[in-house]
Amino acid sequence: MSARFRWLIIGPSIVYLAMFAAFTLAGSIYLSLQNRTLGEKLSPFVGIRNFQRLFNDHRFHNALAVSAIWELVTVFGTMVLATALAVALYEYVKRRQLRDLLCLLFLIPILLPRVAVAYIWRFIYSPTLGIANYLGTQVGLPPSIFLSSPDGALYWVAAVDIWQWALFYTVIIAKLIETLPPEPLEAAKMDSAGTLVTYGQIILPMLSAPMLSLALVKSIESLRSFDLIFIMTGGGPGTATETLDLLVYQVGLNLTGRVSYASAMSLVLLIVTAAGLAAIWKGTRKWAV
Amino acid sequence: MNRTVLLAASLAFAFSAGAANAQNQCVGKVPELRVIAQASPSVLVTEANLPEFEQKWKTKVTITKFGEQERRAKARLDLSLGAGVYHVIYMEEGNLAEYVKANWLYPIKPLVPTEYDFDDYRKDMSSIATIDGVQYYAPFEGGGDILMYRKDILDAKHIKVPTTFDELEAAIKAVHDPAHGIYGWAMRGERGFGMNVWRWIPLYVMNGGKWLTDDGKPAFAGDIGVKATQQYLDLMKYTPPGGGSASWSDAVEAFRSGQVAFFIEVDVFGPWMEDPSKSNIVGKVGYAPPPAPLPSAGWAHGWAISTVAVKDNDDCLKAVAGDFVGWSTSKEMEQRRLKAGMISDIGRQSTLTSDAYKKAVNPDWLKAVLTTQPETRVLFLRRPEWPQVGDSLGLVLEQLSTGQRADVAGALKEASDQAEDALSN
Repeated sequence: MSARFRWLIIGPSIVYLAMFAAFTLAGSIYLSLQNRTLGEKLSPFVGIRNFQRLFNDHRFHNALAVSAIWELVTVFGTMVLATALAVALYEYVKRRQLRDLLCLLFLIPILLPRVAVAYIWRFIYSPTLGIANYLGTQVGLPPSIFLSSPDGALYWVAAVDIWQWALFYTVIIAKLIETLPPEPLEAAKMDSAGTLVTYGQIILPMLSAPMLSLALVKSIESLRSFDLIFIMTGGGPGTATETLDLLVYQVGLNLTGRVSYASAMSLVLLIVTAAGLAAIWKGTRKWAV
Repeated sequence: MNRTVLLAASLAFAFSAGAANAQNQCVGKVPELRVIAQASPSVLVTEANLPEFEQKWKTKVTITKFGEQERRAKARLDLSLGAGVYHVIYMEEGNLAEYVKANWLYPIKPLVPTEYDFDDYRKDMSSIATIDGVQYYAPFEGGGDILMYRKDILDAKHIKVPTTFDELEAAIKAVHDPAHGIYGWAMRGERGFGMNVWRWIPLYVMNGGKWLTDDGKPAFAGDIGVKATQQYLDLMKYTPPGGGSASWSDAVEAFRSGQVAFFIEVDVFGPWMEDPSKSNIVGKVGYAPPPAPLPSAGWAHGWAISTVAVKDNDDCLKAVAGDFVGWSTSKEMEQRRLKAGMISDIGRQSTLTSDAYKKAVNPDWLKAVLTTQPETRVLFLRRPEWPQVGDSLGLVLEQLSTGQRADVAGALKEASDQAEDALSN
């Protein structure tokens, strides 16, 4: 396939996406240099004042930190749990039909609308009316305040995100294991390699490229967890679960519409995430088979 | 015949003739009326009755419903960007000052046909919908505060109904018994100008607090603010687990599941306690005005007409929109809501005092509402920047109520600095 033909096929899509990206980026930059609110049509240019304010805005710093923790916890938690479950599924569920049935059940959480999931889990977590505390106290666990805990709320919400995505990724990783060539595994068996060694030194390294791609996809998806956090905690208690995208929404749309300040925050978010994802992408290319 | 009477009669005839004329000319001239709302019970009943309105004007009415925060954001975006998608806007007290300053709303009285008896809207709710003597939306739900208490728990403990705030505090402590699943109090803890701040404000105003100093700077970080916040946090100790970040619905559910003894909330929740399909405490709830000197925080939701979507020279669209507002908030519509079993959303004074309503509601609740009504007023800062000021305050209150921080004075100072920044921008 010639290079010219390749560009002919994907070129229009790239131009289309670039136009929209350029337009919105230019608009954000333009807004961030003003002092505009939604209630007023006109606003003077204030240069980089909004960016200077961000440096002294503790709430913005907190949102950056919460976003970083959220990314790490959800991506790492999803990959670790999905890998463990996929290995367990492959090793202990030998009957093909049962394994396929379990895979089908594992797909259900990801198919549920995110908003519905948020409301359901919010109710499950209710300290006085939710089933989580009821079941926990039945087995002797002390009751928890879950989403009202400033130290724990972010992790309880992350658990919901991991529940949805890890089960989905379990299916993908399990199927990836099934499609591996059998020869290296047979050779390992002949060398009396244990399960841990087989997975640690043969199977998972063979799957490193697709798994890193899964991690990259999850990293991007975790940046868009606004809906889950918004409904479950609204960013609280206090600012314990206020990620940067939630803060941008609160500042730009929900309160008095300080769209210029919100645009400045969005641009910082764009730069930070682009740099982070570029680093991950470089890492995946290094590991690509 | 007296000249004044003759003139009034002529004007009345002219208006009614004008209204009838407007309808005759405008039937079929407005293809669609678009309304933005949130799915409150009143809106759902209005939606169920739309065919008769659509038939009257040969106009399709589209009501788009969102959650509260989304509705607020979408309405603001629609108006500020000049998109003009929605002709009729679901309005509330918190954003009114901002919308009026931006000239996004018409004064509502001239647009509602006289046949709908504009002066019959509840005075407490109409005053909340009014800025500088001009009313901007027609209310269909709202009210003030009410004290709800468990009669059975008070009887068992031989405690009389508190009539002062000190008596209330003492009673809460006396009935608080978590070991047996009874908490003394329930309250909003989740941050927000319409959430935890809403319950903090009466404590602040009770202590004589004002929002601004004489030179226009925020005043709530002073001694009165600290005292009110301490009272708020003291009450929070007697709420169910998770109360520090409870939303109003969490607090309502805690009370009507039977776990809480005392509860001050908006009066519309009173009928919710008597709903046997959802309440565990039907017949066990007593109602009283908020104990003195707690004030009653007024709120009101209603319909407003957008100046962005409805141009001043579009007489037919104004006529249809105005008639929609009047029709959906009319005495007749309220009677239909009553027949549908909806007794909480009442915007008409005549409905509130009617025999049919008195038969439908708990008499103690109605007595408490009518007693409190004259005391109900706007307690929050009536400025366009209020949502931002309130959010800053709500954030630190939630940090305090969940134990994230303990320095009351420092927290209020931080909120005050942010409020000052918002007010000066």
